[in-house]
Amino acid sequence: MGRTTKAAILSVCGIVLLILGLVGSIAVGWTDMGAVDAVTALIDSSASQQHLIVSTLRLPRALLAAIIGAGLAVAGAIMQAMTGNPLASPQTFGVNAGASLAVVAAIVLLPELPVPYYALMAFAGAVLGGLAVFAMGSAGGMTPVKLALAGTAVHLFLSSLTEAFILFHQHSTDQVLFWLAGSLDGADWSDIRRVLPWAAAGLLLSFLMARSISIMKMGEDVARNLGQHVARVRAMCGLLVIVLAGSGVAVAGPIGFVGLMVPHLVRYAVGSQTRLYLPLTALAGALLLVLADILSRFIAYPYESPVGIVTALLGAPFFLYLVSKERRAA
Amino acid sequence: MSARLFSLCFLILFTLSGLLAGCGASSQQAAPAPAAAPSGESAPAAEPAKEQARTVKHEMGETEITGTPERIVVLDFSFADALATLGVQPVGLADDNDPNLIVPEVKEKIGTYTSVGSRYEPNIELLSSLNPDLIIADLNKHKAVYDKLKQIAPTIVLNDHQADYGQMLKNYTVIAEAVNKADAGKKRLEEHNAKLAEVKAKLPQGDAQLKVLPAVVNPTGFFAHSNASYAGSLLEYLGMLDAAKSQEAYPKTNLEQLVALNPDVLFLMKTEDKTIVDEWKNNPLWNQIKAVKDGKVFEVSRNKWALSRGLIGSELSAQEAVALLTGK
Repeated sequence: MGRTTKAAILSVCGIVLLILGLVGSIAVGWTDMGAVDAVTALIDSSASQQHLIVSTLRLPRALLAAIIGAGLAVAGAIMQAMTGNPLASPQTFGVNAGASLAVVAAIVLLPELPVPYYALMAFAGAVLGGLAVFAMGSAGGMTPVKLALAGTAVHLFLSSLTEAFILFHQHSTDQVLFWLAGSLDGADWSDIRRVLPWAAAGLLLSFLMARSISIMKMGEDVARNLGQHVARVRAMCGLLVIVLAGSGVAVAGPIGFVGLMVPHLVRYAVGSQTRLYLPLTALAGALLLVLADILSRFIAYPYESPVGIVTALLGAPFFLYLVSKERRAA
Repeated sequence: MSARLFSLCFLILFTLSGLLAGCGASSQQAAPAPAAAPSGESAPAAEPAKEQARTVKHEMGETEITGTPERIVVLDFSFADALATLGVQPVGLADDNDPNLIVPEVKEKIGTYTSVGSRYEPNIELLSSLNPDLIIADLNKHKAVYDKLKQIAPTIVLNDHQADYGQMLKNYTVIAEAVNKADAGKKRLEEHNAKLAEVKAKLPQGDAQLKVLPAVVNPTGFFAHSNASYAGSLLEYLGMLDAAKSQEAYPKTNLEQLVALNPDVLFLMKTEDKTIVDEWKNNPLWNQIKAVKDGKVFEVSRNKWALSRGLIGSELSAQEAVALLTGK
C-alpha cells in the first residue's frame, strides 16, 4: 500500500474520530447528559437549559480545543522542520513564554484592562517572544543550532521575568497560575471568533507551503540547490509558528507538548514526505487536544483542571523517549 | 544588523520591565516604625524579673517561650488580626508590600509596623534586623524557612493558609497562649461566640437555610470557596449551606457548574474591576441562576472575607452577610 493511500485512509479515520471526540466533548460535563441527549439538545431550538449549556459552553469549548490543537501541532511540525531539531516545539520558540509574560504583566501593571484585551496582550507577547528568538537566531546567518539556542535562552529569560512578577505581586497573580498551565474550561464563542481567523489563515498557508517546508528539513544546502529561497521560507515559517501558536496561547494559555508529540506520531504513521503530512498533523493535533480536554474534566471532577496538566502527563514521558532515542541514534 | 538592533532593543525593554516589577514592589514598602523600636527595646530591660517559661505546641513541634513577647513579627494577615484583638502590636508584618490589604478595623489597632515583604517570600534579613522575640508563621508558606526563623527567635507555625473557620479558632488560642494573653484570649473568644450567635439568630435556619456560594473572581476565572474553605465554613457555621462541596478549598468553577450548583446567594470577591463574570453576564445561562434571578448577587471585600482570617475579619464578614441578606 502506498504512503499516499495510507495517509488518505488515516485522514478519513481521523475525521471520523474527531467527530466522535467532539460529540464526546459536548456530552461530558457536570450536567448529566448522554451523547444522544447532547446532540439533540444542540439541535433543539428552544432555549432550554440543556440547549444553552451545549450550544454556548460545551460546543465552543470542543471546537476551540480542536482549533488550538491543530494550530499547535502544525506549529510544532514547522518548528521541527525549520530547526532540524526533533525536540523543537512552539515552547522552544519563545512564543509561550512571551505570551505568558505579557498576560502576567498586564494583570499586574494594567489592572483596569478589560478582559478581552488579555488575549490581545498574549498575542503581542507571543509575537515579541517569537521575533526576539528569530532576530537573535538569525543575526549573522540563521542556523538551526543558533535558533534552538536563542529559543531556549529567550524562553528562560522571559519565564524568569514572569516568575518575578508572580513573586512580587502574589496577591494579584496567585490565580493566574491556572491560566499559565493552559486551560480551555472558560471557552466561549468570542474566543473562537478571536482565534479562528488567525488559525485558519495560518493552517491554510502552511498547507500551501508544505513542499517548501519539507524541503527545509533536508538542510540548507540541499534546499538551496533545489532552488529554494531559504531566507524567505524561514521568515515565512517563523511567522506561521508565531501566528499558529500565538493565537492559541492567547485564548487558552501555554498548552505544552502538543506541538512536540503530534508531528512525531504522524511521522511514524505515514512519514513526512506525503502531501497529507501537515493536514494529518493538524487533524491529529485537534484530536489529541479534544481528548485531553475531556480527560482534564475528570482529574478533579466535578471541578476543572487545566488541560495543560493532561498534555504534560502524556508529553513528558514522550519527550524522554525522544531524547533517549536521539542518544541511541547518535 | 537590524536583527541585532532588534535583539538589543528587546533586551533593554525587558530589563526595564524587570526593574519596573522590582520597583513596584519596593516603592510600596510600608513606612518603617521608628516609634515602636525604642519602646520595644526598653520594655524588657524595665522588667528584669523573668517570668516562667511555657511550652507552646504548634504544627512544627513545641517551642519554649519566656515571659511576654514584646517584639513580634507575624507572617500573615490573620495573625495580625489575632494580635489586634489582644491589644498587641506587631513590630513586623508580611503584608505583600501593600498595607491596603489589611482591613481598616485591624490596621488602626496594630499601628505602625515594618513590612517584611511578601507573605510567600518574607525578607528574612529585614525580619532578623527587627530583633523579634516571637515569630508567627504559616505552615504552608513558611515550612521551608522554619529552621532559619527559629534561629532568629522562638517561632510558632500554624496551619493558616488551609484553615477553615474551626481551625482558625484553634490557631487563635495558640497565639493567645504564645503572647502570654491566654485569659484575655479566652474572654475575647467568648465575646466572639456571642457576636456570631447574634448574627446566626437573624438568619433562616433548618429547612429554610440559604444555599450560598462565596467565590473569588478574577479576569481569568471563578474560584468557588467550598465548604472546606475559610469563608465557606464560616457561612456554614452561621447556618447557611455552601453550594460547593469539595475537599479542595478553592475549586475553579465554570459557568455550567455554577448553573448546576444554582446557589440562592452569591458573594463575589473581585480581585479586579473587570472579571470573568462580566463575560458570563452576556450568556443567557447566567440569568437562570437563582441568585441572579432573585437579585442576590453581592460584591464583598476579599480582604475582609478571605484574607483577614481571624476574629475581627469573621465578625465583620458575618455582620456584612446578615446586613446584605436581611436588607438592613
